Amino acid sequence: MARTNRRGFLAGLLAATTVPTLSWADAGDPSYLAAARETDGTFAMFGLDRWGQDVFRIQLPTRGHAACAHPFAPEAVAFARRPGTYALVIDCVSGKVAARMDAPAQRHFNGHGIYLRDGDTLCTPENDYANGRGVIGFWSRKAGYRRVGEMPTGGIGPHDLKRLPGSDVLVVANGGILTHPETGREKLNLATMRPNLTYIDPAHGILEQVELEAGLHQNSIRHMDIHADGTVAFAMQWQGDLSEAVPLLGLHLRGRPLHLLEAPFEQQLGLNGYAGSVSYNGAGAQLAISSPRGGQVHFYAADGAFIGHWKRRDVCGLRALNDGFLASDGNGALHQITAANGATGGTALSVMPRAWDNHIVSI
Amino acid sequence: MRFILTTCLSLIGLPVLADINAVIDDHIVARHAGFAQSTAALKETATLDCTPANVIPAYHAAFDKWVAISHIRFGPIEDNGEGLAIAFWPDKKGMIPKTLTDMIAAENPVVNDLEAFASHSVAARGFFALEQMLFDAKFSGYGADSYACKLTQAITFDLARIAAQTSNDWATYATTLRNAGATGNEVFLTDKEGAQALYTNLLGGLEYISAQRLARPLGSFEKPRPQRAEARRSTRSLRNIIVSLNALQEMAEMLADGEALETMEAFAATHRHAQTLNDKVFENLNETSAKFQLSTLQELVAFTHEAATAEIGQHLGVAAGFNALDGD
Repeated sequence: MARTNRRGFLAGLLAATTVPTLSWADAGDPSYLAAARETDGTFAMFGLDRWGQDVFRIQLPTRGHAACAHPFAPEAVAFARRPGTYALVIDCVSGKVAARMDAPAQRHFNGHGIYLRDGDTLCTPENDYANGRGVIGFWSRKAGYRRVGEMPTGGIGPHDLKRLPGSDVLVVANGGILTHPETGREKLNLATMRPNLTYIDPAHGILEQVELEAGLHQNSIRHMDIHADGTVAFAMQWQGDLSEAVPLLGLHLRGRPLHLLEAPFEQQLGLNGYAGSVSYNGAGAQLAISSPRGGQVHFYAADGAFIGHWKRRDVCGLRALNDGFLASDGNGALHQITAANGATGGTALSVMPRAWDNHIVSI
Repeated sequence: MRFILTTCLSLIGLPVLADINAVIDDHIVARHAGFAQSTAALKETATLDCTPANVIPAYHAAFDKWVAISHIRFGPIEDNGEGLAIAFWPDKKGMIPKTLTDMIAAENPVVNDLEAFASHSVAARGFFALEQMLFDAKFSGYGADSYACKLTQAITFDLARIAAQTSNDWATYATTLRNAGATGNEVFLTDKEGAQALYTNLLGGLEYISAQRLARPLGSFEKPRPQRAEARRSTRSLRNIIVSLNALQEMAEMLADGEALETMEAFAATHRHAQTLNDKVFENLNETSAKFQLSTLQELVAFTHEAATAEIGQHLGVAAGFNALDGD
């Protein structure tokens, strides 16, 4: 990183007088993190500002999936993609690896993770493949990212993990798909899979579980975004017949029934049974899902009404950007996209010679 | 000397993009024009005499032209959202016969209004609705003065309208595609994106043959599903595969500038095997030999896909969707 020397010098000065506490401002104040493959075939994680411009670039040893940003320290966890057995904690000021986490025996990471409110405990959804069940692993940042415990997720193949606003209650997307490292990503239980959403109190265990109706049991719940009011928006990937236009987006508020959303038949079919990312917009009044396989984003009002679509080849990453969304694609572009008054549109913010990977995370 | 050598080497490594104009003009635009002409002829034929015996030859001619360009999924067809209106298949829930039966029973007047018909259910439109009107005994016995006659005519009018519109719109869209990466081009942000769209559609065409036209009737090994074969009522299941393979081969050849020898060999082998199949609608899939022959065709298509992915991707300097393929 270009800034390393100056920052190192400043940090040194500060260290002489006080305990250094770096913040995201010291890493250039990025708004987002996203991983990408570069033209030479190597991988890197980028910090991006709110206009989609690079703030920093940090080399990664392998392909990423989603990063996990620390709530206040300029640290990001980059997980080796599924089925990965290690994760790197990266100091986003120096660009160096600050810690390495190795999954315990017979566990692997799934590309996602989240910190509890105190910023000390990192939670990682993992596959306990010997027992065919999911677990959340807990790691202590204070103790140098030492593993301090785990608990079951109440399902198979946990993928995304989020925290409900203002609490340490976790919600897990148990995708339902059984895999084993020996067979990579091969899906071993499509006929019997049963995905669910599970709410977990790290201190007490499972609080609540919701499942899809039987006819949708092959709809793998994979990714989530959480509204400020606690509503969980979840995106799904259909493992059944692609000629069926099934819902790929659902909403759930604790204690209530699931609410599944879908576009009119022909547009729903255009998603090719696959939603890659889900996000609310900044105001929380709209949400969107992306489908790299269908090359489009679908917009909904927060109450579930379908608004429209926006097309872009290989679009996947999606996060709130003001009243609209920031979208990334495998062709190297970042777009500001909006659905205002029913009219959808997008503007390219940048086009770089790299392929943006699955997700963008907000800081 | 070293500089010159480096320059030469880097030129060799550069993607060749000039061939894209040939694909646009001689493949996409030309074939869409053919689709428009053949559906105009279909409309004219049905206007003069709507009965099946008269319409069927024009139906086959137009369906051939559609299959020969149906792998181009981007551009006007996507922007206008007309893909399903041309070909609604597979119809897993039997929406086509149900919709047609209901319309005929109620003598739904939507058939008298081309504009209204254009936004009517896709189950009552396109080649697959027309196929049932012409070939399924439930519908095909109609006379010249019947409601069913008007319905058949409405389907042909609608197809001709869509084909003409798509063909016209390609005139403008071709310019957008040709100028991929130019300032102000909001559809193709870099020059590679145009080539990549063509490449993805070529591969998508092969995937469609394998994952839909072949995989649906093949079903599982224990339980083949011959009744799921595409366009079996009009005996077009194998024909659609062959027509599509020919079109895809042409596109591959143009995209590769003759530099995809393995891909061309794979196409040729696939084509040779397809020509040996006697079962035009895959109705004998319960017999092991028929199942084996069709599975072999599927393997050859997969082999062709693999060869095209590598050779043509390398030639154009592009790769298929980074996220679409990752699937996580």
